[in-house]
Amino acid sequence: MRISIENFTKSFGDTTVIEDMSLEIGDGEMLALLGPSGCGKSTTLFAICGIHRMNAGRLLFGDADVTEVSSQKRNVGVVFQNYALYPHMNVYENIAFPLKVRKESRAEIDRKVQEIAGLVHIGELLRRRPMQLSGGQQQRVALARALIRKPDILLLDEPLANLDAKLRLEMRSEIRRIQLATGITAVLVTHDQVEAMSMCDRIALMDKGRIVQLSTPKDMYENPSSDFVAGFLGNPPIAFLEGAAANGGFRLANSQVTLPVPSGIDMPGEGAPMRFGVRPEFFQPDNPLKVSGKVSFVETQGREELYDVTLENGAVLRSIQSQSAGFRLGEEVSWGIAQDRILAFGPDGNRL
Amino acid sequence: MRRAHLLGLGFLSPALVIIVMLFLVPVLLTVMFSFTNMSTATGISGGAYEINSASLRKLADAGAQESFLDALGQEAFVVDDAGITAVAAAYGEQFANEIGSQMLGERFTSRRDLERAFRKLKSRPRSTRDIKKAADLFKRSVLNVRFETADGLVGAVTGNGIAMTPDQQELLTRTIYTGWSWTTDNFALMTQIPYIWRVAGNTVMYVVLTLSVSVGLGLFLAITTFYLPSLPAASFRAIWFLPRILPNVIFVLMWKWLAWDTGFISSFLANFGVAPRNWMLDTDIHAWVFIVLINGMVGASLGMILFGSAIKAIPQPMLYASEVDGASRWQQIRYIILPQLRWPIMFICAYSTLSLMTSFEYILLSTDGGPGGATEVWSLMAFHTALDNYAGNLQYGLGAAMALVLVIVGILASLVYLRIFNFNDLVAKPRIEQ
Ligand SMILES: Nc1ncnc2c1ncn2[C@@H]1O[C@H](COP(=O)(O)OP(=O)(O)O)[C@@H](O)[C@H]1O
Ligand SMILES: [Mg+2]
Repeated sequence: MRISIENFTKSFGDTTVIEDMSLEIGDGEMLALLGPSGCGKSTTLFAICGIHRMNAGRLLFGDADVTEVSSQKRNVGVVFQNYALYPHMNVYENIAFPLKVRKESRAEIDRKVQEIAGLVHIGELLRRRPMQLSGGQQQRVALARALIRKPDILLLDEPLANLDAKLRLEMRSEIRRIQLATGITAVLVTHDQVEAMSMCDRIALMDKGRIVQLSTPKDMYENPSSDFVAGFLGNPPIAFLEGAAANGGFRLANSQVTLPVPSGIDMPGEGAPMRFGVRPEFFQPDNPLKVSGKVSFVETQGREELYDVTLENGAVLRSIQSQSAGFRLGEEVSWGIAQDRILAFGPDGNRL
Repeated sequence: MRRAHLLGLGFLSPALVIIVMLFLVPVLLTVMFSFTNMSTATGISGGAYEINSASLRKLADAGAQESFLDALGQEAFVVDDAGITAVAAAYGEQFANEIGSQMLGERFTSRRDLERAFRKLKSRPRSTRDIKKAADLFKRSVLNVRFETADGLVGAVTGNGIAMTPDQQELLTRTIYTGWSWTTDNFALMTQIPYIWRVAGNTVMYVVLTLSVSVGLGLFLAITTFYLPSLPAASFRAIWFLPRILPNVIFVLMWKWLAWDTGFISSFLANFGVAPRNWMLDTDIHAWVFIVLINGMVGASLGMILFGSAIKAIPQPMLYASEVDGASRWQQIRYIILPQLRWPIMFICAYSTLSLMTSFEYILLSTDGGPGGATEVWSLMAFHTALDNYAGNLQYGLGAAMALVLVIVGILASLVYLRIFNFNDLVAKPRIEQ
């Protein structure tokens, strides 16, 4: 089911958390609300499921205006950050709860619980209490409870935040598998860009209560609209070079080095401050546009190695290379930037 | 024992002292008192032995033989040293010595016999009147003489020449003792009190009704204030907490003012032509309604605070989850909030049953068990029997026995509650490994 958020504003007392947000989520799409902690992701999610009232704006599910509909009637499944399982009920009763309050027949409830338990692989845990489950198992129970009454929309609030790294990886694909299998429209709230990129069709990147960019993971990675977006996405993160426009090129700060700018950008006026963003994979030994510096940090990541190179003016560029490269700390290097992959940002941080 | 255990005990010792002084000692004293016949008449210190008309009647009631009673009641004339000394003072050494050498130890059942014996003596006084008077100096009776010990009494009685079988002696010393003594009769006495079963029934009714009102009302208040915005909720809670912090007397006085024949209810109903009366005491049912309301309100305010804080402790997301799961307010209360209040509810029930069973101050202050004993509960009966009796004879021993019954019922109830609470579940193992 399509979700349209129109001019949504939310404030708690005097503080406005979300201001005039509009967002459209397509039917069957899985969208990530990505952003740093405290930017209003959960608030948005709670507005969609009706726990928070909107101070202004409209919310549409399909063509129906649900702005004033109570959360009980919205038919939205939610997986809460700490799962919010009911501790006094066992797994079966937890999952069955949404059906029980709808007074469905015992047989019907039983059939559906067994079916959903199979889908999320917890068939053998039904008699346990939430406290007797591991984090990953609790997570699956929460997912099952959210899905059991076949909601129109599935909302997930940082569902993987409490899991260990391995389990997180596993559940990432698991949630995506279930979302695809059910074809449900889903919103995933996360502060982890890897999660957002790997699981979702599109990402809405939020900052301070606003959506700063809305696009597919690939597009957002390659074409960030601002240095904030560029900095938020990518691991290891992008490196920035400070400087200013000079003679149609980019003069590094505190340096005589001038770099050519990528083709087809609107240059700001002469002397205006600019930033270059260079992703680690585009700063490599064999690229043509050379800059020289000293290896100031080496991190072995197994398959790859991560280098920090400190340039003469003190700026740091990052490079990720295959293990075989074998550069050493302190080594003087002269590596090249892939010129057409440079991301150039203007004085206000927006992409040029 | 490990040193850690000793350390723990050390830290506990002040608490142990308090427990012993404030909890154990009163219980032990109650047990002790309940096996005595202490009352206003016996006093609580020791008593004495004295044969008088009242104690003779008591002896007769206790089944002493007629002949024994007659013997005790009769006076006798015994020639003993005390009498001889008295004679020496009044009639001279000579006569006294003569009596001493010839008659010491002799016993006469009437004065005339003694006089006749005196007349045979040489140094007797001249006048008949003096002889009569001298004889009187030997008159001995156990009547109306106070003996501090049983041995003293027995000595006097046998010294009077009254022979007693061991049975008679035992009966005598037991029956005429004016102090308290150990007895197990209190429990039998209790069952013979005609209104005892009514009082027991009242007690059960009082506990059940008051508990229902306080838990029900407490829950209702806790849940409604939970759903109210915070400011009205806080003021509402403060108002409902008043009964707890108001002095009992003031609180009950307000109820009395409400119910008096010149009070609020009467004045208000006077507008509709209802004759004024004391609404609290005019019928049994009214008295009960007031008793249950007064106690229920006090209990409810405690319940409200306890339940309220337990509801607040429910994680917010859990309530959110139940809402998006489609639960209505009522279903949220029924399936999420109430189950989470299980322990506080059980706690209030357990705690209140025990405290209601033993507390009577609000009843005492409001109806004092009236009208006509309709609201007399067990603890109040114990109080009335032992400490506040219209008849004036305060029966400490019987009252203590009544209280002991409550103590026993309380202990049994606690054991049952501990089972229900599943104490081991409730008391988690210490986190520090031993
Ligand atoms: N109930 C509330 N009352 C007041 N402020 C709130 C409330 N809920 C959230 N906020 C504030 O709104 C902002 C956004 O919160 P939230 O949406 O939870 O952030 P996140 O993106 O980490 O999920 C935060 O600054 C938070 O302090
Ligand atoms: Mg959040």
